[in-house]
Amino acid sequence: MQPLRLTLMALAPLAGMAHAQTDGWPTYHGDHTGRRHSELVEITPDNVHTLALAWAFQTNLAQQVKATPIVVDGIVYLSAPDNLWAIDALSGRQIWRYQHPANDAFHIGHRGVAVHGRSVFLSTPDAHLLSFDRFSGALNWNVEIADSSRGYWATNAPLVIRDHVIVGVSGDFDNLPGILRSFDAATGAAKWTFYSTPPAGTRDSLAGGATGGQMWMTGTYDPELDLLYVGTGNPTPVLNGGSRPGDNKWTCSIVALDPDTGEQKWGFQVSPHDTHDWDAAEVPVLVDARIDGAPRRLLLQASRNGYYVVLDRVTGDNLLTTPFAAVNWSLGVDAKGQPIPNPDKEPARDGRLVAPDEVGATNYRAPSFDPATELLIVSAADAYGVYFYKPEHGEYGWAGADYTVHSRGELRALDFRSGEVRWRHDLYGAAGAAGVLTTASGLTFTGDSANSALALRTSDGTTLWHAGIGRVGNSPVTYELDGRQYVLIGGGSGLYAFALPELR
Amino acid sequence: MRSRAPFHLIVPGTAAVVLLVASLAGAQPPRSEESPAARPVPPSATPQNYVPELVAAGRTRFAASCGFCHGPDATGGSGGTDLTRSELVAADVQGDRIGAVVRAGRPEAGMPAFPALAAADLATIVAFVQDQRAKAEGAVGGRRSVEVADVLTGDARAGRRYFEANCARCHSASGDLAGVASRLEGLALLRRMLYPTGAGNVPARRPTAIVTTRAGETATGEVAFRDEFTIAVIDADGRYRSWRTDRVTVAVDDPLGAHVEQLARYTDAAMHDVLAYLHTLR
Repeated sequence: MQPLRLTLMALAPLAGMAHAQTDGWPTYHGDHTGRRHSELVEITPDNVHTLALAWAFQTNLAQQVKATPIVVDGIVYLSAPDNLWAIDALSGRQIWRYQHPANDAFHIGHRGVAVHGRSVFLSTPDAHLLSFDRFSGALNWNVEIADSSRGYWATNAPLVIRDHVIVGVSGDFDNLPGILRSFDAATGAAKWTFYSTPPAGTRDSLAGGATGGQMWMTGTYDPELDLLYVGTGNPTPVLNGGSRPGDNKWTCSIVALDPDTGEQKWGFQVSPHDTHDWDAAEVPVLVDARIDGAPRRLLLQASRNGYYVVLDRVTGDNLLTTPFAAVNWSLGVDAKGQPIPNPDKEPARDGRLVAPDEVGATNYRAPSFDPATELLIVSAADAYGVYFYKPEHGEYGWAGADYTVHSRGELRALDFRSGEVRWRHDLYGAAGAAGVLTTASGLTFTGDSANSALALRTSDGTTLWHAGIGRVGNSPVTYELDGRQYVLIGGGSGLYAFALPELR
Repeated sequence: MRSRAPFHLIVPGTAAVVLLVASLAGAQPPRSEESPAARPVPPSATPQNYVPELVAAGRTRFAASCGFCHGPDATGGSGGTDLTRSELVAADVQGDRIGAVVRAGRPEAGMPAFPALAAADLATIVAFVQDQRAKAEGAVGGRRSVEVADVLTGDARAGRRYFEANCARCHSASGDLAGVASRLEGLALLRRMLYPTGAGNVPARRPTAIVTTRAGETATGEVAFRDEFTIAVIDADGRYRSWRTDRVTVAVDDPLGAHVEQLARYTDAAMHDVLAYLHTLR
């Protein structure tokens, strides 16, 4: 497929588009666009080398901090499975903490919370959604998103649109329909459910018998189109594709939904008939640009299957599909811009060597879009795995076996118009866990796969600062408080706030 | 060649150490770390009984902390191995092996450490895993199983030609790989052929580095750690030494780099041919 014909036209932000955040980090992605780009400019490429610790918060959990901290009105909300802390953004002091009752759902990670008015919303491993008074920590309500005894669990950071708290779940080890639900922010009353695969007990010709397609990552939103964009997960059974013929829509897809009803407006399937666990749950990043002189509303995704896609987010039409990491599983791209899976790379009895591996060419770690350089900065990996399936593996849950052979992580800066890699930064290890933050001063914050938080020059990827705080497991955020800019980065089981030294 | 065992396998007086010494090329991990899904469930070291209450409590604890990767039933999940087919689990008595791995984790393989796990909680996890393992002993065709015959679909003669053209610069059928198929087979041999990792997915052969300081001093050794900012080696005297990478010149020799390059070149047919050839080296 040809590179996107958008060359030499300047980016032109459209009037009324949700503007980038300034003083806080009020939502999972910072704003509705998913760009994770801040307008704060106190910390610059010239002074970032003096960045120093302002405070540190220890969760005292064995688990790594994986959540994006949400920062509103001087309070940081940090989550982990079964845990929520409200932390003073000035000092790192705990204001209150909620601990959910012990439960046997997966505690694999937690992405973050949502804040709306006086409320903070938390999903829990046992697939409940809780609302708290965000100042006192008092529980407002507690509702079930899905039945965890059937194999659902939740890690999702909810997205609030008007009075809708929109939240997804996970569930790869059981054949469960993919659901995204809306609850009333004030009362917790269920408002709608979107099914990416048919509800239990029903079948449709689109899904071809597949279940799955869980929407476990937070979507993005265009307020002018009033459309919610979300990526859907892989089909189940996961590795056994023979039991679910066809494309298995709408798994491994980007879908546009009406936030008031959950009605689907369009869909684009990034991985038709996936048999490798490559969900398309990665962040749908919203960017506006001029094409042939006309403003276009675009949606960018660096997807787990190794392809970078650009869509028109009004219609869902594909404008570009091109690999950004090692890919050996497709026969090319069809007229609709969808990769064509090579049947010889489906899991087989004797094993197939496939790139990427199950962990993917990228994953939950969020990318960032920098408008000045027009770069989408992605934590990528060139990774290989061997995939097995035989009829004895059955038709339920994973239904097969796969093993990562080798993975090498690299931060890649993609020209968003062509997908070409403008620079690469070695992450010194396998696929990274850290997401990316860019700032208007020309800085990129992230972490490597070894031991360090990093600040890079966005234009060329040069390292300007680092701190050995342990492996970064979340996406850094930034906020301003009392005229001082802070950068929050998770290292190991702690959360670290960095700022410039204060002059006396 | 000097071999260093990963820390969590240094269990004095156990079979693991014996296997380590007897391993391939002197740097290979014990077979207990090799793709347990390729083999039938190994027999228990000691018949073990755990009370149902402990097993039930362990099911909850295991599901919450371990189930995503190892599967809620311990037979393998997203990335983690089938514990019911693990020789380490088979050799475990009351958590003496499992405990060390759980507490230290396997960072290179993505397994987190649980250093603060209470002994009582660990006991429930061990009880559940051992109970699942005992049940799997009687089962046929595990959910994640890959049998030796499954992967032997290649042409050994074609594999030999491929080997001689692509692998013989570093390997020899009569040298380092002599008898390899009597030590490893099936999936275990396939994974080791593609990228030789040892316990915890640490490369079976670590790179070596020559570090030269500005004063002209040089140190040579096995790379203990290397990132953008730090290089650390174990020198000839067994000492750990580290330097800032911006203060020294580092020359690294990674003998496994050729395996990574080869991954992009293999066809599935060539991969299976080479595996079939290696299977003839008994």
